[in-house]
Amino acid sequence: MISFVEPADIKDVARGAVLLGTGGGGDPYIGELFLQAQLEQGRAPHVIPVEAVADDTLVITIAGVGSPPVMLENLVSDVTLLQILARMESHLGRKVGALISAEIGGVNSMFPLALSAITGLPVLDGDGIGRAVPRTEMCTFSIYGCSATPGVVIDELGNTVVIETVNDVTAENVLRAVTVALGAHVFGGFFPMTGAQVKRTAVRDTLTLSQHIGRCIRTAREGDGDVFYDLLAFLNTSRKGGVARLLFDGKIVDVTRETRNGWHWGRVTLAALNDSGDVFTVDIQNEFTVARLNGRTVTVVPDLISILDRESAEPITAERLAYGQRVKVIGLSADPLLRTPEALAVMGPRAFGLDEDFRPIESLGEWRSADYNPTAQKV
Amino acid sequence: MTQAVRIGIDVGGTNTDGVLMSGKDVLTSAKTATTQDVRSGVVDVVTRLMDGWKGARADISAVMIGTTQFVNAFVERRNLEPVAIFRIALPKGRGVPPMAGWPRDLVQALGGHIYMIRGGAYYTGVEYAPLDEAGLRAAALDAHSKKIRSAIICATFASMCPQLEARAAAIVAAAIPGVRITLSAEVGGLGLIDRENASIVNASLALLSTRVVGSLQQALRDAEIQAPVYLSQNDGTLITTDVAERLPILTCSAGPTNSIRGAAFLTGVQDAIVADIGGTTTDIGFLSKGFPRETTAANNIGGVRTNLRMPDVLSIGLGGGSIVRLADDGSLGSIGPDSVGFRLREQARVFGGATLTATDIAVAAGQARIGNAQRVAGLSPVFVAAALEKMHLKIEDAIDQVKTSAKLMPLILVGGGHVLVSRSLRGASEMLHPRHAEVANAVGAAIALVSGRVERMYDLNSQGREGALNEAKREAISAAVAAGADAGSVEIVDVQEMPMTHMRAGSVQIRIRAAGPLASLAAETSR
Repeated sequence: MISFVEPADIKDVARGAVLLGTGGGGDPYIGELFLQAQLEQGRAPHVIPVEAVADDTLVITIAGVGSPPVMLENLVSDVTLLQILARMESHLGRKVGALISAEIGGVNSMFPLALSAITGLPVLDGDGIGRAVPRTEMCTFSIYGCSATPGVVIDELGNTVVIETVNDVTAENVLRAVTVALGAHVFGGFFPMTGAQVKRTAVRDTLTLSQHIGRCIRTAREGDGDVFYDLLAFLNTSRKGGVARLLFDGKIVDVTRETRNGWHWGRVTLAALNDSGDVFTVDIQNEFTVARLNGRTVTVVPDLISILDRESAEPITAERLAYGQRVKVIGLSADPLLRTPEALAVMGPRAFGLDEDFRPIESLGEWRSADYNPTAQKV
Repeated sequence: MTQAVRIGIDVGGTNTDGVLMSGKDVLTSAKTATTQDVRSGVVDVVTRLMDGWKGARADISAVMIGTTQFVNAFVERRNLEPVAIFRIALPKGRGVPPMAGWPRDLVQALGGHIYMIRGGAYYTGVEYAPLDEAGLRAAALDAHSKKIRSAIICATFASMCPQLEARAAAIVAAAIPGVRITLSAEVGGLGLIDRENASIVNASLALLSTRVVGSLQQALRDAEIQAPVYLSQNDGTLITTDVAERLPILTCSAGPTNSIRGAAFLTGVQDAIVADIGGTTTDIGFLSKGFPRETTAANNIGGVRTNLRMPDVLSIGLGGGSIVRLADDGSLGSIGPDSVGFRLREQARVFGGATLTATDIAVAAGQARIGNAQRVAGLSPVFVAAALEKMHLKIEDAIDQVKTSAKLMPLILVGGGHVLVSRSLRGASEMLHPRHAEVANAVGAAIALVSGRVERMYDLNSQGREGALNEAKREAISAAVAAGADAGSVEIVDVQEMPMTHMRAGSVQIRIRAAGPLASLAAETSR
């Protein structure tokens, strides 16, 4: 289970959240400092399993929305998060009984934890996606029938916007317009759900998973073995049938990027260190969408792709990728809730403009070379 | 007409290096040990330079100094001053107070005097809340009652609304007579926490900077040099002693920058990779248009994260003193990262010591003539060749990580450890090893330009891209001229545009830097 005793515990969650952020989700730095400030005042978050919430409890998500560089100036206000809570309660006419993260990948893993530390409300150990995604409607809550609205956006000055839309695609579009009008970064409460709905739709145990991923990387570094051996062994045994693979080991030889319609698009190209001639590419649309070895897809959304420093296994966000970095790329199977036909219609490869159908990482071939097989590295 | 002569000095942790230059010529150079008081080492180097030149002291037109004294003091927690922190951001930013995440010992050393005040601006520069002047005045009086003499002011989006910090500074200065104030807009770019951190580090060095700058000036007076003194800042350009005394943090990473810039000057190459091979490490930097490339990620100074503009230098544990180890079967084991360091001349085999070092390998291979080669004659040629190859591979690997594309580039070798390199390195179009490479850092100080910078958000809708770029360029050029650059020769040396997500379409962050020679030297210096 998850624990919050010392600053390293927060750092572990943050590092795991960046790995699960699959290139996007925002740098958790400000969220880490915010949570650490609570811990220093003797307030720890209270995390409970999704199954532990009562069916009729009101659960909401708490998230930062907008431009990451603006959040680095605005930071976050505890008062604003409390106002969101109060406003959601007055609008819905009910007390909020628990919080949950909308997306575990990146900085939004942190805010529900901090608000839990402040209020004592429990945070459910799960989220709506098990990774990071670029749009509100791309999450299991939305896909399986819960609605992002009524939702509330509040800035630190007290400007409040209640959003009620007929579907979550519109909610996302309205949210973007409101964010621009309020200075490019705001906080909000969304997805008012009952405990029963959360149990039906949430991806489970992802807070614990984040912390354990971070902790696994940290403790593996302290040992003298291969950090990736420990990490992959952990990811392959801890996720109830989930699969994790080392996809490539190499160096970045090219990064292209552009901002298109407010999103970060690009491609990173890697070459093998052993001069095998293999070419590996990862496409970026805020997050990593598809990884290909010599043109052949080896992992594709909604399965997860993470790029990590090849020595320290520090996960690297898409905006930090640069020519010359030595990295290892890993692929992870997404939660089964993301692989159903309903989910793939919303966030399968075609939703990202890719001309291919989803194929699970397990079906995309074994690795030709022992170099790519982590189990062969343990001598 | 005789050309103006100038002195470049690098006060490092171990050595103080100096050069005397006229135009593009290095007239003489000197090296001595850095002293505790800084002053006597500088006096020693200047005296030696003058002895080696025989010219008149009155002909020296400028002295440029690079030093790592300030950053070393902060890292070692020496002579730090308590700081009053006035953050002007409320109602924003409450959740992450100043000094969040700082090491405990530093918070204690600086006193943790935190004041959160109402006020601040959006990314557009428009105020979201006016400055709470009464609240700030009360806070400043409280700091005064605690006898605090150094303060910082940090406001939301300070670079977009600098007048807010300036107004706040006037209020604080009126409440605390003689207070030293650091404005966040002067030290850092976007990212409030990182900028605030850099400001606090700077303010904590207030007393030390007065003393160090004073002792540098005293050293030159003792050496009977009357010329104006400038300090090198992190980007390789100069600031006056007044600015350095006020903003010491701007000088904290000048050493590697000067070394890279010196390498450029000594070779005449403007775009290259520079490898500075010392006793313990090899520092590899990227030279672009005569300046070192800067880091984009956050930096860490003594456990504090900042967004200071620093040279992007990759340091690997390989130098002349790196220890070479044998594997159990007698074959080659590891090389470095540990080193005998400055004890090379006692501990290396060729000097009669017992430790096998990278220098011993270079001597055994016949590519360096240092010490007694007989003492390494017993090493097998196969072993020596393997060790040499491993060292080359390490440097090649680091070079490749520093490069931004696969394109071949010139490689400039500086520093005393250059003897380790015997063949051309992969990724290099040519290998350059200029004269005076061992004092490249002092040369870098002596040739420094003066710069001006702009880092701001612009709205392309109102003035178009060209209009925004032109405005930013004009501002950067006037900043350079204001800092002492010759108006006729200032050039734009760097332009970066960063589009922002989730903002009004057309919002873009522009970073521009202009640089030119000191007006007083403009007639005879050049890059």
